[in-house]
Amino acid sequence: MAFKVSSTALPVVPADLQRIPLVQNQRGLGWISDRVTAVTEGTPPMWWWVCFIPSLLCLGMLGFMLAYQITTGVGVWGNMKPVMWGWDIINFVWWIGIGHAGTLISAILFLLRQRWRTAVNRAAEAMTIFAVMCAGIYPALHVGRVWFDWWLFPIPNSNGPIWPQFRSPLMWDVFAVSTYFTVSVLFWYMGLIPDLAVMRDRAKTRIRQFLYGLFSLGWTGSNRHWSNYEKAYLILAGLATPLVLSVHSIVSLDFSVSQLPGWHTTIFPPYFVAGAIYSGFGMVLTLLIPLRKLCHLEDIITMRHVDIMCKVTLATGCIVSYAYAMEFIIAWYSGSPMEQFHFMNRALGPYQWAWIPMMGCNMLLPQLFWFKKVRQNVFIIFIMSIFVNIGMWFERFVIIVVSLHRDFLPSSWGYFKPTWVDVCTYIGTFGLFFTCFLLFMRFLPMIAISEVKGVTPQADPHHPLGGAKHEEALPDDED
Amino acid sequence: MSKTIPPTCPEPETGRQYWRSLDQLAEKPEFRQWLEREFPAGASEFDDPVTRRHFVKIMSASFMLAGIGLASTGCRRPLEKLEPFGQQPSDYVYGVPQFFATAMPTRCGAIPLLAKSYEGRPIKIEGNILHPDSNGGTDRWAQASILNLYDPDRAKRFSKGGVVMRSDDAIAFLSEISKKYAANQGQGLAFLIERNSSPSRLRLQKVISQKMPNAKWFSHEAIDMDVHRRAASQAFGASVKPYFKYDAAKVIVSLDCDFIGAEEDAHSNIRKFVDGRRIKNPGDSMNRLYVVEALMTLTGMNADHRLRSPANAVAQVAEALAAEINGQGGSAVPAGVDPKWVSECARDLLANKGQSLVVAGYGQPLAVHVVVNAINSALGNIGKTVVLHETSDLHEGGIADFAKAAASFETIVVLGANPAYNAPVDVDITKALESAKGRILRLGYFEDEIFPYCEWHLPLAHYLESWGDAFSGDGTLVPVQPLIQPLFGGLTEIEVLARIAGEEKTSPYDIVRETFTGISGSNEDAVWRKFLYNGFLENSAAKSVSARSAGSASSAGAKAAALSKDNLEIVFYRDYKIDDGRYSNNGWLQELPDPVTKLVWDNTVLMSRRTAHELGVKNSDVVEVKVGGRTVSGPVWVQPGMADYVLGLALGYGREWNGRIGYQVGFDAYQLRTSDTQGFATGATISTTGKTYPISTTQNHWSMEGRPIIREANLSDYKEHPDFVEHMNGEAPPGGFRPMYPNPFDTNEKTGRPAGHHQWGMSIDLTACVGCSTCILACQSENNVPIVGKDLVARGREMHWLRLDRYYTGDVQKHKWNGLRTDNETFQDTDRQQFEEWIDDPQVVTQPMLCQHCEAAPCENVCPVNATVHDQEGLNLMVYNRCVGTRYCSNNCPYKVRRFNFLDFNKRSIKELKGPFYPPFFAKGAFAKWLKDPQDPKAGMRQDDEWDLIEMIKNPDVSVRMRGVMEKCTFCVQRIQQAEIAQKVKARDTGNILVPDGAESKDPTALKTACQQACPAGAIVFGNIADPESKVSKLKAQQRNYSVLDFLLTKPRTTYLAKLRNPNPQMPDYREPYSLGEYETKDPNPFEEEHHEEGAAAEKGMK
Repeated sequence: MAFKVSSTALPVVPADLQRIPLVQNQRGLGWISDRVTAVTEGTPPMWWWVCFIPSLLCLGMLGFMLAYQITTGVGVWGNMKPVMWGWDIINFVWWIGIGHAGTLISAILFLLRQRWRTAVNRAAEAMTIFAVMCAGIYPALHVGRVWFDWWLFPIPNSNGPIWPQFRSPLMWDVFAVSTYFTVSVLFWYMGLIPDLAVMRDRAKTRIRQFLYGLFSLGWTGSNRHWSNYEKAYLILAGLATPLVLSVHSIVSLDFSVSQLPGWHTTIFPPYFVAGAIYSGFGMVLTLLIPLRKLCHLEDIITMRHVDIMCKVTLATGCIVSYAYAMEFIIAWYSGSPMEQFHFMNRALGPYQWAWIPMMGCNMLLPQLFWFKKVRQNVFIIFIMSIFVNIGMWFERFVIIVVSLHRDFLPSSWGYFKPTWVDVCTYIGTFGLFFTCFLLFMRFLPMIAISEVKGVTPQADPHHPLGGAKHEEALPDDED
Repeated sequence: MSKTIPPTCPEPETGRQYWRSLDQLAEKPEFRQWLEREFPAGASEFDDPVTRRHFVKIMSASFMLAGIGLASTGCRRPLEKLEPFGQQPSDYVYGVPQFFATAMPTRCGAIPLLAKSYEGRPIKIEGNILHPDSNGGTDRWAQASILNLYDPDRAKRFSKGGVVMRSDDAIAFLSEISKKYAANQGQGLAFLIERNSSPSRLRLQKVISQKMPNAKWFSHEAIDMDVHRRAASQAFGASVKPYFKYDAAKVIVSLDCDFIGAEEDAHSNIRKFVDGRRIKNPGDSMNRLYVVEALMTLTGMNADHRLRSPANAVAQVAEALAAEINGQGGSAVPAGVDPKWVSECARDLLANKGQSLVVAGYGQPLAVHVVVNAINSALGNIGKTVVLHETSDLHEGGIADFAKAAASFETIVVLGANPAYNAPVDVDITKALESAKGRILRLGYFEDEIFPYCEWHLPLAHYLESWGDAFSGDGTLVPVQPLIQPLFGGLTEIEVLARIAGEEKTSPYDIVRETFTGISGSNEDAVWRKFLYNGFLENSAAKSVSARSAGSASSAGAKAAALSKDNLEIVFYRDYKIDDGRYSNNGWLQELPDPVTKLVWDNTVLMSRRTAHELGVKNSDVVEVKVGGRTVSGPVWVQPGMADYVLGLALGYGREWNGRIGYQVGFDAYQLRTSDTQGFATGATISTTGKTYPISTTQNHWSMEGRPIIREANLSDYKEHPDFVEHMNGEAPPGGFRPMYPNPFDTNEKTGRPAGHHQWGMSIDLTACVGCSTCILACQSENNVPIVGKDLVARGREMHWLRLDRYYTGDVQKHKWNGLRTDNETFQDTDRQQFEEWIDDPQVVTQPMLCQHCEAAPCENVCPVNATVHDQEGLNLMVYNRCVGTRYCSNNCPYKVRRFNFLDFNKRSIKELKGPFYPPFFAKGAFAKWLKDPQDPKAGMRQDDEWDLIEMIKNPDVSVRMRGVMEKCTFCVQRIQQAEIAQKVKARDTGNILVPDGAESKDPTALKTACQQACPAGAIVFGNIADPESKVSKLKAQQRNYSVLDFLLTKPRTTYLAKLRNPNPQMPDYREPYSLGEYETKDPNPFEEEHHEEGAAAEKGMK
């Protein structure tokens, strides 16, 4: 791995202590541009169509399901008394959780100067935006009278001074989610501008040239542009950082503000954020492991990246496990019979079948990541990353459905079952997600080209190969 | 809100005359004549514009058009036509409801009622509080009967051989019959009637019998309550009918007698029973109820001592009891019964001679009733708790006699009865009707099972459409007064009889008036008007016949059959909802949770846990029940508290010829019922079919899980610790109570006065509540609560604002199954509860649960759009217009009393209620209709014929909610508003705008919630808690007062009075309420001294 060093002044670093470069195989800057934009240029590969067409069909099904639900009523879903929130809110929280990794990677890791983020942040941010779109469908459309959704916004109106109820956590949700979505989109677009300019410059058709030119906002790559860009990027990162923490905290308040045993708890905000990051990284792994292979990006999204993300998953998984354990301990310590009943009921009640996969996937499974061998095996990681999200789905199921189904008065206990419309709507949101994601990777650079270039060894001015002066000297072993 | 009295008829014509058509203007004699014939009931007053009858006629223009121009097409859908009054009736105010006293006839009596009418439409039934034998309470059937009036499936046409005829053809045919049989003394004429107490009908029957002495009379009731009369007549040797005074009894023994639920006059019995149990102070006494029964009935649920016993063993218990009372102890009791149970019960009876009462149920054979009469006689109860009223017996034949002779009659007039459906199976009624086919004239409310055999079918008028009369249970004469012209031109029984009798006066009004004159001895208008105004004839209650001693108990040597899993007993019982099937097309009743089982839209094969275990069946398994070579199949339901080896089969289901609601709901238990086994049959077997059938219930979980939701104690313990409920309060979280909203009791900062003038609250006495479920229907009727259908009930979407929680409590020692005791059984699937041993002999508690109107309501602060808010008078309001339907309020409601319109329930057609729950947005035509006019509120789902009638039943004071909106109990805010406005109008300058307490008022317009008004037990009391003198305040001041889930600090405005039981300490099954044992598994005993002292010390420490 060591480079041929021409200068003798540098101390020799032992091989195993050397920093592993973020871009492997000494890839040059031009190669990076070529490789990343290659996905968007030329005819799409077969696998893209194989993924895209089913996704589009699922998206169509989503449209049909939502039309059915809006025209007929929430009753087409399985929601019932006492479980008034079912798959609608489960999937809302689940998708919002997934939407956490992107902005965390791009904003918090940016502030923390985690240079490895550059290889994954673009795709992760895109994932965030699409996941939040999927999530947003649910609160907007799960209400009984969709056409009055706008009443949740504080819009001056002539109906007497009727304002939303500012004490309601659902009201806070409206602000939290919409702000998060707006800032995430802005942040993502901000980061795209230099790369859009690259795309513009490489464009071979008038239409591409025009569109990429339009959206790159006249980027020339001048120093002034770069200077402004980086300031703005830093500011947006600063703005986005608290939002990463606030969105899921506020979503968790939907539950903790109520007085339902299983919901009424102060541990929820940190626990939800950790769970969200856990599931978000799970989804990033699920997406990027096949993509790096299919798009031949192994040198940019390296095993080191995968390894780091596995470690983050392990860490957040441990936080979530701690929260699970703590909920039981607090239920015992509180002395509240209702709380105690609830947690026993989670573990032993009729929904035990949901609790077991939740504990298995979120508490036990991530422990495998303690082993380096596991973290190096993309196949195992891929499977595990899927189970992470299955586990997180069950976590939301347990929190929402299991808490609601048996509350204070046994007379109103019930058993929730979803309907086919619930299931098809959920599958439909995958259609939306993957349609958007596949279009994104087809038309936009899914790796932040300029940022990756910035973390290559040759980008370092002090590097022997600094400034990429000797690019032509590097071996160009195309595979 | 005064009552309008219809003027006497005929009345001189006054005022200006209006014409309605050119013909009328022309006053052509043909038109005149035709009109007279068409509307014989009102012809004489037809052109008098100021009568109420004219008014309702205009409003129900549907009738006019159906009747006048288009009679040949029969049941045209009624067109609505609003016409202004030609002349404003003097005491009518638009938008103000009118009340009319009337009565609902039942088999042996009538329920005195006050019907509320809006713009000519009756919309709500209330009890007549002025009636001497009523507290204004009603029963389930009375509350739901108004829906039958607007049933789109009722018989709407006159038909002959299935062809639609004009009503005057039918009337002409009646006079033909009359002439024919008057000439031949009635040879070949037969009448098949149902029981009722109408003196007019009796009078006409006598007239016909005189004119046509050879005409035969038969009566048929599928569920015959006449056994009480027959038994008393036999025992006392005179034609008498017993009237039971449960309020005068200190000890009541029910031998399979469900006097709280299925017996005649149950609503009145409930009131009297509860009057003997109402406790104001710990020193008050309480009556005691012993029940011997096979099924778990409402009466058994309320028993202090309950003995599970097969129905056939009741006779033996009765004899053992009689022997004990006659001092010949030692008579054999059925196997498995503790002899001490019977002897101690007898001792308790003997200790209360003259203040005790033994009753036997309608399902028991005559012999048991005779024994019971002897016991009552021996106890000196006759004349005290059992009053005998003189009655007459027409010696009519039964259905078996009818079937035998049917082929020989030339003309058979069937008034109401439907033997084709509910005759005993050993009577070959099909053959009999087949042989009489083409010679039957039937007056019926539905074109049902008997319809294909009828030559003529005439629509029967609803009791709210017809003039009639009846005797209420105590023998008081009550009028049946119409509120609306017959919607489909139906006739009444008395009109048909009068026409057959060839009477001059055939208008039901005249007939009733004439009968009244005969009974009251006065033909004065004032007396008549007062009769109609009050809804009863004062001091007309039947005179009790002087007490005679009944013969000594017949020692028939009754021996209980030995039952086993191969020799089961079937008990056929009157369903709490659809009666004998007559209400099977009533959606409210179909969806009413059965007061005991909480099942909806079905009947099941009820059996005990042990029976099910031995037969190897479980809930929802379809089994074939076989007895006497006949089988029916139905799903199993394990019913806690049932006697072993007994199957409970509700009658009235499984109808093939009925309206769209009742069609094929459940299975038909009549298929197994013979003339000899009207009450119960032994020798039944069961075989499994391997199929399952979904059953819908509104309450899945049976146990209270030791939570202090319903708090109860024995009377003796309560006397020692009257504050026990306080010791069952949960531990509130530290930090105290910090309201989210200003407490409505707080003073207004500006005025220094309380923010609201009234503070509304409710108190529910759980000792009084017997669980009869009338309140649910009253609320449904008052508040336009829709029904959702069986499938949606299974999905937890029923809409009842008020529900009756019913919990079974059991011996904690038995909380195990097959010895595999686990402490975690609570957490298991609710399906498992049917296998647990503790349900074998449980106690039952019920609790009406409705919006608690919390002062610190958890629902309010979570609504993002402010759709549920608090008002200054302490009401938790639901603003439908503002609701977007996030359903968060329901999730945060600890009582789960909010109801969500998951679908457009008010627009769903009857078909969808019964089919798959998905409403067909894409169904044929619906979408196209919607595209054509999206604003059309009727676009889509319902058919036109449903719309026309179903719209009419809605209470105009209450919004009909659309889909996507949350709703819940409002404390009948519309009634509160009306009362407040009325009081403000009344107050004028006096400033006295406080609404007077309606709880004890006899004024029918006094402020009461619908549930309170309907409650026969008077368990629900609503009023102003800011007024310390109001009844509700006084009840809340009792020490038994507690709020459910007090530890959540929601501060509910609805509080409960703890339930008290009064078991006999000498009895072998004397025990503390089971619920206390369950409670103690988690919390300290509230009666233990130590705990009390600790509590007191802790309180002192706090101070």
